[in-house]
Amino acid sequence: MDQTARLRSALSLLMDRWRAVTAAAASILLFAVPALAHTGSSTGGFVGGFAHPLFGPDHVVAMVAVGLWGAFLGAPAIWLLPILFPLVMAFGGVIGIVGVPLPGVETAIAVSAVVLGSMVALAARPPLWIAALLVGAFAIFHGHAHGTELPPGADIVAYSVGFVVATGLLHLTGVAVGLLARWRAGRIAVRTAGGAIALAGVAFLSGLG
Amino acid sequence: MNGFVVGLLHPLALPAHVLALLALGLLIGQQMAGRRIVPLAAFVVGVSAGLTAIASGVGQTSAADVLLAVAFANGALVAMARPLPTLACALLAAITGVTLGLDSPPEAISIAVATAMLLGTGLGASLALAAIVAGTSYIASVGDWNWCRIGARILGSWIAASAVLVLALRFARGQLF
Repeated sequence: MDQTARLRSALSLLMDRWRAVTAAAASILLFAVPALAHTGSSTGGFVGGFAHPLFGPDHVVAMVAVGLWGAFLGAPAIWLLPILFPLVMAFGGVIGIVGVPLPGVETAIAVSAVVLGSMVALAARPPLWIAALLVGAFAIFHGHAHGTELPPGADIVAYSVGFVVATGLLHLTGVAVGLLARWRAGRIAVRTAGGAIALAGVAFLSGLG
Repeated sequence: MNGFVVGLLHPLALPAHVLALLALGLLIGQQMAGRRIVPLAAFVVGVSAGLTAIASGVGQTSAADVLLAVAFANGALVAMARPLPTLACALLAAITGVTLGLDSPPEAISIAVATAMLLGTGLGASLALAAIVAGTSYIASVGDWNWCRIGARILGSWIAASAVLVLALRFARGQLF
């Protein structure tokens, strides 16, 4: 009987949290409405910007790898890399937007998945400045690619916010998964995920992905 | 909806204003307890000055671009999480306030409605900033919530990145200044 009561209590808690998550998601969507109203374009507002990074698998796996590696390296890399990446990526975005050419952008993005995934798979622990330099260098290419792809006529503020928030949430997803590395089994799982990301990068490089 | 309520909600309806308020609120909230009142007051004075200028007939300015540039600076400073001199923080707050005020021209025909909208905008922006500062200050004061302080820094980097992307896009389209 006690067990049933406990199960009911746990289910009730779960339902409360689900309602809270649903309410939060609804708030975000409501927040997006004025942004869309400003643009008059369904692809240019917050939702368009938010969706943009999520539809590039090479971008997605590299962003998750940044978070995974940060979590694997521990403090301060766990928070420094997700802070550094958007800032450097924005710099790359700026040079892409103003039309400064950067050679081999798509190749560099695929290489970023290979390198960052391999770092996680091999449990590499270089000094923080090397990790930051590596992540920062790849961030410029990711930013440049996105900067050149920004749609004309968009509500640029809402679009840019959506775009940066989606990228940041991909990092945080990687960090959340990477926190499993505290446990032995989790560590194996995280390194396996790193290996899978590196393999995906190889597939992107070879044109299979 | 009457003019005052429209004005009250105006700073929360424009993404650029939300970015600027959030960046400044996080920055002020990160400062030490005794150093928050002066920047808050500087913002209120600044926004009042900007709205007064609008009411006095100042036309279109480049306030939106300056507002984004300050949002970038504030966001980057939040990401760095270094304590600022009170005067520097107050100056950033005042610039944010003035530009936010100048970037809030009321879309009303009647003078009474326009005045109500401007008053609402000033109050709404000041209350929103105070709420963000209060929340950030609370987070900063709770010893166990280090992850929240890191979250604020990540948010700061997102704001800076968004603001600089927008400025670059405006520059590329020939819309900057």
